[in-house]
Amino acid sequence: MLLIENKRLRQTIKTAVPFVLIPVTVLLGALVFDKKMHMYVSLVTAVLSLLLFASGYEKKPVGSRRMVITAVMTALCVAGRFIPFFKPVTAITIITAIYIGGESGFLVGAMAALLSNFYFGQGPWTPFQMFAWGIMGLIAGFMAEPLKKNKAFLAVYGVIAGVGYSMIMDVWTVMWYDDGFNGGLYLTALATALPHTLMYAVSNFVFLWFMAKPFGEKLERIKIKYGV
Amino acid sequence: MRTFADFNPIAVTVWFLAVTGLAMFSSDPVIYVIALTGAVLLYVVRNGRKHHGIHLFAPVIFLITALINPLVSHNGGTVLFVMNNNPVTLEALIYGVCTAVMITAILYLFKSYSQIMTSDRLLYVFGMFSPKLALIFSMSLRYVPLFGRQAKKITASQTAMGLYKDDNIADSFRGGMRIFSVLITWALENGIITADSMTARGYGIGRRSHFSLFIFRTADVLLICLSVIFSVLTVYLTWDIEFVFYPYFKIPDAGIKNAVGYAVYGLMAVMPVFIEIREVVKWRYLRSKI
Repeated sequence: MLLIENKRLRQTIKTAVPFVLIPVTVLLGALVFDKKMHMYVSLVTAVLSLLLFASGYEKKPVGSRRMVITAVMTALCVAGRFIPFFKPVTAITIITAIYIGGESGFLVGAMAALLSNFYFGQGPWTPFQMFAWGIMGLIAGFMAEPLKKNKAFLAVYGVIAGVGYSMIMDVWTVMWYDDGFNGGLYLTALATALPHTLMYAVSNFVFLWFMAKPFGEKLERIKIKYGV
Repeated sequence: MRTFADFNPIAVTVWFLAVTGLAMFSSDPVIYVIALTGAVLLYVVRNGRKHHGIHLFAPVIFLITALINPLVSHNGGTVLFVMNNNPVTLEALIYGVCTAVMITAILYLFKSYSQIMTSDRLLYVFGMFSPKLALIFSMSLRYVPLFGRQAKKITASQTAMGLYKDDNIADSFRGGMRIFSVLITWALENGIITADSMTARGYGIGRRSHFSLFIFRTADVLLICLSVIFSVLTVYLTWDIEFVFYPYFKIPDAGIKNAVGYAVYGLMAVMPVFIEIREVVKWRYLRSKI
């Protein structure tokens, strides 16, 4: 409906956002605005990178099979978030990224955050959650081969992702609360979130250790059988 | 009958972004209080006595966020008392309370927003930016309950085959894993069938069109224009006011100009409340004539 028809304009926007707009926002945030604006800057950056990803995905010829599989994995993530204590969201995102590709991994993480927040509560933290889960998937996609071969490496990556997720979200908590970054408050936030962090790390480890292989085999089978 | 929820979702989103954005990015306690008042009024007018859980939850959040700051931050000149060799200051407490007001206001606003924006409305807004992502979004939305139903079917058939015992934890865990495994295989195969069916019906040939029930009426355009104009006015009129928290809390001198700015923001914050009340009055009036 509102899709931009002019091809050149679209191309300009696509190069302007990552190479001009995002660095400019970050630099302005660091140099011009005072601490007060840091939260604003980080929110804008998160939203811009999500938009950039969306526009890139929109342009690519993606087969409908691949899209449906992404939707299936997203739904599994959302359903998994209802399991008490053990949250397989990051694990499923990582598995998708390894076997289907980093881009799908990003999408599954980001979409799962957006969708499950309808049940768990939307808020200004949603873009951050989307970004945090998405980026875990994207990075896993870059390291697909070693992660596929080495189970220990995969489990360690899961633990790092769990701790990393908590740390990213706490940066946001602190910035939202205190208009700028406050080291003491950040440490307090990390300490209060410690049970959650441990839970994320342990459940990622457990899920990746036990499920990565059978899950991966199913995805590989689908890929071979239908040529996704 | 046209309540605030029946406005075009884009207009609702613009209003919501304007009110929340200003509350989040200003550092002005007056704006926070106005936003909180508007948000609570909107929630109460829309829900009445239903969904009152948030009224118990919000004060808890308020207290926690208000009390964290004086316990962590020790800036400020007026020491109230000393705890564990750390001074607890009045300024830090005031700052904490202000932030708590802001966070509670945003909590209420987001609650109302997610009540209003049902999935079809969200899809309408989303689909304009990215039809492909909107499609994935809507498919996943449909899959979540579908997988739940399918999991129940699988459980039933596993139980009927006698493969599913739950008299000890290890067994029920293994049973759960088996059901999950069956579910994944089924979901993926089912997804491929869906995809093939989509391709067979011509998905991806032309540009995607979508169906929606939402149109723009005069009131929608008015709501968008007013939201934009009011936010610009608020920023312009209250830009020069600055509350100082540390080392001593100081209330700045506000002129007529600033007061007008607050009034404009207040007007914007209660706009939906007016719309809701007007509808109720209209309904009563029409019914009284029958």
